Amino acid sequence: MKTIVSKICQWIGLPGVVIISSCTAISWLILGCSTEQPAGGVAAANPAAESGGKSGAELWAENCIRCHNIRSPSSYSPTQWEVVMMHMRVRANLTPDEHKKILEFLKSGS
Amino acid sequence: MRGEISFVVNRTITRALLTTALLITPLLVRAQDVAPPPPDYVSRDEYDKLKAEHEAMKQEMETLKQAVRQMANGTAPAIPAEGPPPAAAPRDAKQVVSAAPAPSAVTDELRQEVDTLKTQVKETFPGSTKFLVAGYGTSTLAAQSGSDPFFDATFNAFLLWKLTDRLLVEGEVEFEFEDGNTTTNLEIMQASYLLNDYMTLGVGRFLNPMNYFVERQHMGWVNKFPDKPLAVYDGLLSESDLGAQLRGVIPIGPTKLEYAAFVANAPNLTTAFDDPSAVGMLDFGNTSNQFGHFAVGGHVGFIPIPELEVGYGIRRSQVGPRDHAVEAILQSVDVNYVRDSTLLKGLINVRAQWVWSHVGHFVYDPNGQEGFGPFEFNNNRNGGYAQVSYRPTKIDNDILKNFEPVVRYDRLNQLHTPVGFDEQRWSFGLDYWVTPSVVVKAAYEIDEKRGGGRDQNTFLLQVATGF
Repeated sequence: MKTIVSKICQWIGLPGVVIISSCTAISWLILGCSTEQPAGGVAAANPAAESGGKSGAELWAENCIRCHNIRSPSSYSPTQWEVVMMHMRVRANLTPDEHKKILEFLKSGS
Repeated sequence: MRGEISFVVNRTITRALLTTALLITPLLVRAQDVAPPPPDYVSRDEYDKLKAEHEAMKQEMETLKQAVRQMANGTAPAIPAEGPPPAAAPRDAKQVVSAAPAPSAVTDELRQEVDTLKTQVKETFPGSTKFLVAGYGTSTLAAQSGSDPFFDATFNAFLLWKLTDRLLVEGEVEFEFEDGNTTTNLEIMQASYLLNDYMTLGVGRFLNPMNYFVERQHMGWVNKFPDKPLAVYDGLLSESDLGAQLRGVIPIGPTKLEYAAFVANAPNLTTAFDDPSAVGMLDFGNTSNQFGHFAVGGHVGFIPIPELEVGYGIRRSQVGPRDHAVEAILQSVDVNYVRDSTLLKGLINVRAQWVWSHVGHFVYDPNGQEGFGPFEFNNNRNGGYAQVSYRPTKIDNDILKNFEPVVRYDRLNQLHTPVGFDEQRWSFGLDYWVTPSVVVKAAYEIDEKRGGGRDQNTFLLQVATGF
């Protein structure tokens, strides 16, 4: 086994080992960051750290306005907001915590 | 020499295979950890059970509603027939009265319970979930110097379907009416799966992730001008791509790092002489992936403070016939600053994006069969835009606060290509926001072409609605 590993290392070279090790470490790190999924959405790994303790209303204001005018919470029903916010999470790259807090805020006001 | 090349190639392939295997392993492991999804169909028994529960809940809700009404009227609620038996009369009535909650508290509690039940009942209705039709429409009048004015209308329907908490399917169909014809175009059709908190996998036809304007700003009710800037839209970069993308965001303290990596059909290199100015241009409508090339690219965006975002995107691919394909490299930088300023009493909006396009050395019509070759040129182009707008949202006047003046400078440099000229425009616009998603836009564009072509100043008037 040791021989095989050393042969592979010899074959791919030091840069190869570094690149592959880095990619593996990053992928394991990132893939390991998934949190359990509660009903109605995906929660954050560390909510407080991610959004700096900001409220849903604050996050709603500062994230939405970056691209377009802010839509009133009453624009959609709670169920519709779930769909809209999932779309925005993907399109606008919202963190899970931002997504969760903004969605809660919008649902509470719709 | 040949042996060395073969050795390097083999070694590179081995590295790539190993990297891929190691990247995929955690995905597979994770996939095995996830519990199997629930079956897609419900049996008759399950349906009957659900229906019975639904009916029972409705009855319970009615009973509770009556109780609430009676409590509100100051009368004692009737005890439901199927409810628990009444408690034995207390020996010390005074003590019980003093310990019992106030009638208003009981009413509130019951009201909350009714609301909860209502929500639960609503959620059992089939078809009430997770599908949404949104979109936008525009009506435009364009009057260009040297041409007849014309009206144009577009309607973009956006269909969103949240299948699970991790899976979203979205499609956008555009209908455009112009010159007496209606055209239909599938703008996007993407399935997005949240792999984890910070990584989403998307497959299908998606908006070009390296093009900030296209991804975030091109929609009629978002874009502050009736038309789109040169170079970044319908110019040097694609609007959408067919392939797969991996994207997400990584919070780093108070900042955020966005990323997107994608693989997609490569553009086609225009080599025919049907349109002389188009020779050497990249055609992004390569749905069948002619010549089998793939484009690989990505975008990173850094948000140091909520108001500012700075991004860089790149894509590389081979283009042209297989036997003498050349490399095409597209790059883009974008800066966006949006601030709701108390000092300025309004919303300031600054956006800029610049794009570079490079296509490798290629000899067009090498045998002279098409009558213009052999022809070769330095196929480098660039262009972009900068835009500033201000809306006095914090002033007291209800009319003025809805106006938003906007200025844009956009440019496309391709003088040394078959197009034969550089173009720049100064655009001045005034928007009036009827609602947050309905806007009336008026704009005047001063057009200037250097090296050829006719300057075409344009007046544009547009009504855009987002829904």
